[in-house]
Amino acid sequence: MTQAELAGRDWSAEADLLARLRTGDEAAFEGLVTRHYATMLAVAQTYVKGRAVAEEVVQETWLAVIQGLDRFEGRASLKTWILSILVNKAKTRGVREARSVPFASLAGEDDAPAVAPERFRGPDDAFPGHWRAYPGNWSAAADVAVGDRETIRAAMGAIAALPPAQQTVIRMRDVEGYSSEEVCAVLDVSEGNQRVLLHRARSRVRATLEEHLDG
Amino acid sequence: MADRRSDQDVTCQEVVELVTDYLERALSPDEAALFEQHLNFCDGCDWYVDQIRMTIAAAGRIEEEDVPAAMRARLLAAFRDRGRS
Amino acid sequence: MIAYKFLRGDGTGVFTKHPWPLPAGGAPGRWVEAPVVPCRSGIHACRLTDLPLWLGRELYEIELDGEIVEERTKVVASRGRLVRRVDAWDDALRAAYVDDCVERAYALVREAGPALAHWEADVAPQPGEGPAMLGFVAARIAEERDGVDAYHAERARQVAWLAERLGL
Repeated sequence: MTQAELAGRDWSAEADLLARLRTGDEAAFEGLVTRHYATMLAVAQTYVKGRAVAEEVVQETWLAVIQGLDRFEGRASLKTWILSILVNKAKTRGVREARSVPFASLAGEDDAPAVAPERFRGPDDAFPGHWRAYPGNWSAAADVAVGDRETIRAAMGAIAALPPAQQTVIRMRDVEGYSSEEVCAVLDVSEGNQRVLLHRARSRVRATLEEHLDG
Repeated sequence: MADRRSDQDVTCQEVVELVTDYLERALSPDEAALFEQHLNFCDGCDWYVDQIRMTIAAAGRIEEEDVPAAMRARLLAAFRDRGRS
Repeated sequence: MIAYKFLRGDGTGVFTKHPWPLPAGGAPGRWVEAPVVPCRSGIHACRLTDLPLWLGRELYEIELDGEIVEERTKVVASRGRLVRRVDAWDDALRAAYVDDCVERAYALVREAGPALAHWEADVAPQPGEGPAMLGFVAARIAEERDGVDAYHAERARQVAWLAERLGL
């Protein structure tokens, strides 16, 4: 499990957070807003055009969250609830109406293969489809530091450059640690669709990290 | 030209497309077994799957973007006013 | 049920990297429990006939118990413990297996003549390629020559070779 996944499953921490929010703990609120800002902005931008409008949607969402805090029943997780409000507001506000451009159709954004076909052997070869040259062994290479700040920054840049739907899914799943069920529920997409988007996103980010690490 | 694909193996090219399904446990038991058998003999694909895992881990460590100051101030004010309305 | 399990050199699972309780002083390792959920959880092991598909660094005999599900190329169980290390599976035997598979591969290619000439360059082991790869190459060549039955026959031949030298 990644750190993100662990954070997502910490129910007792969430109950504690909710209690603190309800008693007006500003530090808790500010932390929450900061924590989710980038993802909320990315999600909003899959429904509305332009960063400024997306920022307004994010702000309106938080205002609604503040108003609804006392009534929140905890049936969904806090962050799922917040994201659902965001998606509703974004859809309402969206230049592209949800019905005419369903999220699922954004999966057609790109059909690029995960790895360039030239890196595999051709059909006349004894081993068609096998690597021509193996990719790097990042665990073993002493000079490759996958956990360092440079690499994380490269991943951040790669994610920010993704097409909207892919960016949303990878942010929710891998950056924030939402489960696949939560992502499908909030974005109203099928499990399969969500997985395709996740696959493309991860493949692209890996490719960027490979350029960054292997030169 | 004979079709040299084998049903007893997945190719590396297939592995890099199946990796997300594998990690999400969405492959059937037979497909997952073929996938793992391939990883067992193919270092390249073993390393590739590890690269994807490390990509996921790197994503999980991304730092948050700063909230614009004006938005932060407005939201904090609204939060403070919550009890008073 | 007695089955077999390959581990990494450091005693961890090949795919899970979980550390396994190893047998010591003649006694089996502790029981490990994991409920059987297809593709998600369970203890994986292989039968004798599956051995060539899963060749790894260290070979152990494993006792399986609880819920046992037999899949096409492996067994999944809810309880297992490593009974003993199969010491015969060492560097020397690994090298001998590789040599045998390479010899088989060359023989199959030569017998087939021009039809399998494209394999000539690929039969010799590349650096880092081990028993699992070379076993696959031999079986794959057999399949290309004579179809899927030949693939399975070659694998069965590998099982017999291993069983005899490992005393299983």
